[in-house]
Amino acid sequence: MKILVADDSRVMRQIVIRTLRQAGRGGHDIVEAQDGQEALDLVRSEAPDLVLSDWNMPEMNGIDVLTSLRASGSQVAFGFVTSEGSEEMRARAAQAGAAFLIAKPFTPEAFGEALAGIGL
Amino acid sequence: MILEGPTYTDLHAVVDEVWSAFLGPEDPLLPALPDTGLGDGVTWSAATSVTGAWNGVVTVEIPDVVAQTATERMLGLAPGEDLSTEDVADAVGELVNMIGGNVKSLMPGPSALSLPLVARGTIASPSDLTEVSCLDLTWAGSPLRVSVLARRDVPARATDKQESA
Repeated sequence: MKILVADDSRVMRQIVIRTLRQAGRGGHDIVEAQDGQEALDLVRSEAPDLVLSDWNMPEMNGIDVLTSLRASGSQVAFGFVTSEGSEEMRARAAQAGAAFLIAKPFTPEAFGEALAGIGL
Repeated sequence: MILEGPTYTDLHAVVDEVWSAFLGPEDPLLPALPDTGLGDGVTWSAATSVTGAWNGVVTVEIPDVVAQTATERMLGLAPGEDLSTEDVADAVGELVNMIGGNVKSLMPGPSALSLPLVARGTIASPSDLTEVSCLDLTWAGSPLRVSVLARRDVPARATDKQESA
């Protein structure tokens, strides 16, 4: 399985990757994107099975990445990992086609529950 | 005019959650003694702004030792490993991003959160901002400060609610 982790913070990408391992989802191929445009490009070139994306990123934000993917026909599983976990943001994420939104700060248990919810 | 912002208790809960989740529960955040300040050494500052139904800025100020230790723990490195300035700035920015995002969720929406601004030194606040909440804390024996500032030109919804009640 290939997972794309998109976040403009290298530190946060490392935390997300470490938390995946702590949640019992280690051992997957990881691809990293440092902004939204790179995430969009890497979904097209790397064909990941899952995208874990920050919301607030330079070049293109996460919701625009997701909207572009769905508009182009991509149905890749997509979840947000973001500091903004309000009901309004969760509703926007779901409406755009996200499978889940994990709010920062998070725990391995939160990752486990979110990924189990999409059968991973 | 009463400016709206998160309560001390809410802000403390947000900061505590961020610190314990990513920096470990072994060193709790404690209230600082009055007039502790941030010391005379190098200070890192970070800020993120919220714009929309609520307009404000969240700032984090920490001494270099806290920034270095936080970066080590966030990256899962052993104490004393070499850190790049970019990684420290990244970690400090992510701290204010998480605190700012959670503060945004506590305030009226819709609104947008900016990307974090990080400086080695201090960041001067715009003159149209007024401090509405401030935490002076210590972590692992070192001081840190988290502040929330709101714009004066924003109607105070809390006051409106009281008047209409």
